[in-house]
Amino acid sequence: MTCMVKQKDRTGIINPMYNCQPAGAQYACIGITDCIPLVHGGQGCSMFVRLLFAQHFKENFDIASSSIHESAAVFGGLVRAEDAVDTMLKRYPDLKVIPIITTCSTEIIGDDIDGLVGKMRRSIKKNFPDREVHLIPVHTPSFKGSHVSGYNEAMTALVTTLAKKGKPNGKLNLITGWVNPGDVTEFKYILKEMGVEANVLMDTESFDSPTMPGKDAFSFGSTTVEDIIDSANAVGTIALNRYEGAAAAEYLRDELEVPAVIGPTPIGISNTDKFIKNISLMTGKAVPDSLAIERGKAIDALADLAHMFFADKRVAIFGNPDLVIALAEFCLEVELKPVLLLLGDDNKAYQKDPRLKQLEKNIDFDMEVIWNADLWVLEKKIKDKEIEVDLIMGHSKGRYVAIDNKIPMVRVGFPTFDRAGIYRQPVVGYRGAVYLGETIANTLFADMEFKKDREWILNTW
Amino acid sequence: MPLQLFKCDEVIPERKKHCYIKMPGEDISDYLPSSNVETIPGTLSERGCSYCGAKLVIGGVLKDTIQMIHGPVGCAYDTWHTKRYTSDNDNFQLKYVWSSDLKEGHIVFGGEKQLKKSIVEAFAEMPHIKRMYIYTTCGTALIGDDPKAVARDVEKELGDVDIFVVECPGFAGVSQSKGHHVLNIAWMNEKVGTVEPEITSDYTINFIGDYNIQGDTFVLEKYFKRLGIQIVGHFTGNATYDQCRSMHRAKLSVVNCSRSAGYIANELKKKYGIPRLDIDTWGFDYTMAGLRKVGIFFGIEDKVEELVAEEMAKYKPKIEWYKERLQGKKMAIWTGGPRLWHWTKAVEDDLGMEVVAMSSKFGHQEDFEKVISRGREGTIYIDDGNELEFFEVLDMVKPDVIFTGPRVGELVKKLHIPYINGHAYHNGPYMGFEGFANMARDMYNATNSPLMKLAANDIRVG
Repeated sequence: MTCMVKQKDRTGIINPMYNCQPAGAQYACIGITDCIPLVHGGQGCSMFVRLLFAQHFKENFDIASSSIHESAAVFGGLVRAEDAVDTMLKRYPDLKVIPIITTCSTEIIGDDIDGLVGKMRRSIKKNFPDREVHLIPVHTPSFKGSHVSGYNEAMTALVTTLAKKGKPNGKLNLITGWVNPGDVTEFKYILKEMGVEANVLMDTESFDSPTMPGKDAFSFGSTTVEDIIDSANAVGTIALNRYEGAAAAEYLRDELEVPAVIGPTPIGISNTDKFIKNISLMTGKAVPDSLAIERGKAIDALADLAHMFFADKRVAIFGNPDLVIALAEFCLEVELKPVLLLLGDDNKAYQKDPRLKQLEKNIDFDMEVIWNADLWVLEKKIKDKEIEVDLIMGHSKGRYVAIDNKIPMVRVGFPTFDRAGIYRQPVVGYRGAVYLGETIANTLFADMEFKKDREWILNTW
Repeated sequence: MPLQLFKCDEVIPERKKHCYIKMPGEDISDYLPSSNVETIPGTLSERGCSYCGAKLVIGGVLKDTIQMIHGPVGCAYDTWHTKRYTSDNDNFQLKYVWSSDLKEGHIVFGGEKQLKKSIVEAFAEMPHIKRMYIYTTCGTALIGDDPKAVARDVEKELGDVDIFVVECPGFAGVSQSKGHHVLNIAWMNEKVGTVEPEITSDYTINFIGDYNIQGDTFVLEKYFKRLGIQIVGHFTGNATYDQCRSMHRAKLSVVNCSRSAGYIANELKKKYGIPRLDIDTWGFDYTMAGLRKVGIFFGIEDKVEELVAEEMAKYKPKIEWYKERLQGKKMAIWTGGPRLWHWTKAVEDDLGMEVVAMSSKFGHQEDFEKVISRGREGTIYIDDGNELEFFEVLDMVKPDVIFTGPRVGELVKKLHIPYINGHAYHNGPYMGFEGFANMARDMYNATNSPLMKLAANDIRVG
């Protein structure tokens, strides 16, 4: 059985799977406390992305624009960025961190934001002598990579700019990758059960903010600038996603002697097993009974579904690369057949991802992996009957492919705006495996009822 | 009271020129807020970009047209799955977006070949689609690609397609507004007059500046059909590319959104002598007044009165029911610009509500003339409002409901203030008689939410 990995065969894009680099950088940066990212470019580059986060999280996140206009395009935009930082510091007294994120326009006109940061650090010391302010240049030209690589770039820029050797803190760095608040909650639960103190980059659990009687709660990230500085002093780093934050872990390993483990993305039982073993190895802590019980509950729940409902069902998966590959691994555990994986940007590294080689060893069916893909690839293959799938797993921008072709779809990844509360649910860990398995089952069940397809079978399984 | 400097703006005092609180006895021409000028960087202004004004707002509404966005992928991704303009052909325009997917090599060596390939592919993938808009974006404008030349080239090669190019990089102008302008004028210059429509009525209009948000256009189409009026070109709600090419054959241009589409109405008047009639298609009384004006123009007053009577009978009782319950409620409108002046007096007249604060992202001076003329005394009028100003304004005027976008709606929820989507509506359509009843219903449901009352209780106290 083969796992064919190839690039999409069109030049242009119809229905993009990912956004551009600056969007990913903005996502990484809103995870920081007292931080407002400054997007150096046209106004749409931040407004649309703020809308995108509002679509996914149903929350507001503060992001500023340097509001590049025509004059900046001709004469350079640095003065706009400088004014922006100044205005932000004056109007937001608690503001500590300003990542300056470039866009296609400001990369093309060649604005030297690194030079600006150097210059402004001096002027800030003079103008705001009592303030602790961190400016971080983040280079994210949108004509490279995608929001995935932009997220990675920002994580790297934050760690390389801020991390500083000091006293060992005995903590573990956990670089989560692009996950939901529900996933972070799950990570924290696992770490707590293990008795491990961790530095979570980024701790987005608080994105899901309450409406409080005091009207004083808003959505923001909980990773502090001190956490990032202190990441240099951890016992080690676990970066869960190869394409979202691994570069930061490698920097900490190579430059600051913090041991690093990359992966696995802890989706499914065996990936979670490896994750927990890695924590144990790195910290010396034993795996507690509670997690073994949680694992057993997950297997118990999934075993009710696997050979009864999932076996031989064919699945197409799209989304961020680590998510897609890990979901495929999970599918195999529960007897689903992930026949088509779509990875949505121009990263040639996907072709050599060892996880795909491993998948190939584990399958008894043919699998196709298309990189640099767009969602028209999926739609066309289905419409042309090149593939038949029983289930689609992906984000909400692919919803019409499922709706129009009457294929049940489970929302995973980013963004998932056409179902309620997905950001609150974990897909990682044992509890995430249960959520995933049961959501798949319930989606298939609803579809059976809607199509009157053996709906009477749902009684004594 | 003259122009107002908010506390949060003390460090950016130029904002004073943009904020006005209307007081009795003032000559408003002394205090018109400065508008349509450069944004102050770093303010968290609500503004978007010129490309947005062209593609997302106007061109992307067309139901039979490929929207080819020439640039890196983000601009395409960002303007997909964000709008609620439906169509009667299964929402083709909502389901797809196209990008020429520019990469570094194209930035260095030019993106025209990449664009051409992407165009040819797009037509090949969807052979039933024969029309295309191409938009430039920041990157492709800066490197000086010539998409018009590429478009002519493809038209020649393929024979049966028609392509229109809009040059609207995000940095052009100061807001979405520039994109409206560029698209209007270019369409007028290049495409209007290139298709001859079939004329089926003595009464023909263009309906200009309505984008079929949640089916607004369908409501209006119903009225005009009933009056025997043919809409030659709907700019651009539920319209086809070719309908909009035939706008020169209408006898009257009826304009709702004069901000985004007043340009083309003016040009049609200049070039073809088609008179421009501005009406408000939101608001119960306004809709009535607008239809009556159209009736007078064509000499079909009787038909209009018949329609009005029937709609009144159907919806007036509903509106009255809501008016009783919404009377005196305070409302804020933070949207693009025109809805400020369309709505402020309409909700006052029809529902007894008070609009206490308004903010326009990209309105021009004429929008402020209109809104301040129609708006109340004591109300705050803001140009290019930003987030900290919004918090301060809420403290000052304490609205019961805010009409704004969903992100800001989520923000004010934390302050226990309900919102209605002022851009794309909650449960629309909002235009016409039935639409205004929908709008009233959504406002009633928002302001009567038990949840917002529950939110105020602190379970830890008392």
